[in-house]
Amino acid sequence: MLEVAGLRKSYAGRVVLDDFDLVVRPGELVALLGANGCGKSTALRCVAGLETPDGGRVVMDGRPAMVFQQIHLVKRRSALDNVCAGALGRLPLRHSLAPVLFPRDLREEAMTCLDRVGLASRAGEPAGRLSGGQQQRVAIARALCQRARVVLADEPVSALDPSAADQVVALLADLAHAQHLAVGAVLHQPALARRYADRVVGMVSGRAVVDAPPADIADLDVLYATGTP
Amino acid sequence: MSTPRPAPPRRKGPSALATVITVVVVGVHVLAWQATEFSPATLVQGWRGMADFFAQALPPDLSGEVLGPSVAAALVTLCIGLLGTTLSIPFALVLALLAARATTPGVWAYQAARSLLSFLRAVPDVVFALVFVTAVGLGPFAGVLALIFHNTGVMGKLWAEAMEEIDLGPRDALTVAGASKIQSAAHAVLPSVVPQFLGLLLYRFDVNVRSSLVLGLVGAGGIGFLINQSIRLFRFDEMVTHILVVLVLVIAVDQSSAYIRRRIAT
Ligand SMILES: Nc1ncnc2c1ncn2[C@@H]1O[C@H](COP(=O)(O)OP(=O)(O)OP(=O)(O)O)[C@@H](O)[C@H]1O
Ligand SMILES: [Mg+2]
Repeated sequence: MLEVAGLRKSYAGRVVLDDFDLVVRPGELVALLGANGCGKSTALRCVAGLETPDGGRVVMDGRPAMVFQQIHLVKRRSALDNVCAGALGRLPLRHSLAPVLFPRDLREEAMTCLDRVGLASRAGEPAGRLSGGQQQRVAIARALCQRARVVLADEPVSALDPSAADQVVALLADLAHAQHLAVGAVLHQPALARRYADRVVGMVSGRAVVDAPPADIADLDVLYATGTP
Repeated sequence: MSTPRPAPPRRKGPSALATVITVVVVGVHVLAWQATEFSPATLVQGWRGMADFFAQALPPDLSGEVLGPSVAAALVTLCIGLLGTTLSIPFALVLALLAARATTPGVWAYQAARSLLSFLRAVPDVVFALVFVTAVGLGPFAGVLALIFHNTGVMGKLWAEAMEEIDLGPRDALTVAGASKIQSAAHAVLPSVVPQFLGLLLYRFDVNVRSSLVLGLVGAGGIGFLINQSIRLFRFDEMVTHILVVLVLVIAVDQSSAYIRRRIAT
């Protein structure tokens, strides 16, 4: 469960988030849509703790995991080591100063996570050698290995080709439904949101203006027409 | 009717500022010329001294009694450079981590580490060597200590700068997952800079071997010490032998470190 209420944030007097509300329940994929610069990334970064909001309330189960457009894996390290790194928050320093110190049961758990995203066979390869779509799935496996109940994804598929994009969003929806995760994903592809999201939250100028199942929204393009500042 | 053609902008003469700068730069060079007693005439008049020097220095004394100790001392110089570089790694690493925004625990630690690095860098290794010679006596150990101190300052700074360059995304991803500063340094920041760190380490090794030569001149062991001795005894033929050995050592270290750095870069 993720509950965000009245989130506010400004940079140098410029209001970026203005009373932003968002609820993502377990078992639900919520797509966050909105024009460039409307504050989607800022909202997710505030929730993840990478930015400090000026005001508002964020409540959720445990720590969130975050998936980025730029993927942000360590390219020189193996896919498996990258997935294991998701567990750092619960490992003591003596088991986490270097990948060789990762306990055996963590490696096994990480393999299960890689298997869940369909990449168990590539576990030993350096992450940088996988394709963009595969790397993004490794990043999702890292979120699973973190055992996060809330997953935030900032444009997870904007750098991927249409078929890889479809596969990754389908995976996020499947994880939400099968594993009861609360998944909030910024998408710039209304078609993917329509197909996979359980709910769409539309954002204009730092505020949520639409919140409904995709079937109830006639025209998603309206968000982009009015959204540009 | 034709529109008037736009006139090209007139070329401006040198501004007042440019003139002032030129005068100041020329003036400073004149003062420097006087301060260093720079005098080509003296050099020409001194040709006889140089000729005497070369007459005594050439041919170099390549006999076993000279060449043997020379090569042995050159190996000591190499060892001073090697240990001075290797033993500074832990100190440089800790200070670099404190002095890089990607990994520093806070502003206070950042400023303190930067100041310490600047200090270690600002004190030349020869000065450190003179200090340590008084503490541990003449010999290579003082040279190793001097290099550890100075190289910690230089390499720590270079490593910190390398970490300032990197993309912070992977670190942020781990921070969100609850990783501590040390954990995100170990699993996101450091793995991304391994090639740069190795390249800078080899470069410093190369420089340190050459520095340890100079350290020998002030009594910190190695072949620099022999060069100093042969000058004092006016054995210029032996000195040239030592210099030839140094030349071989420096070229060998330089070429092998450049080769390894090229291999890492690809
Ligand atoms: N660190 C920062 N300092 C100053 N301004 C910022 C900062 N981060 C974001 N902004 C501003 O906040 C506004 C919202 O940015 P944000 O990245 O949240 O938009 P977005 O909805 O994610 O856009 P996009 O679709 O392009 O990713 C932008 O105008 C941006 O310039
Ligand atoms: Mg964004």
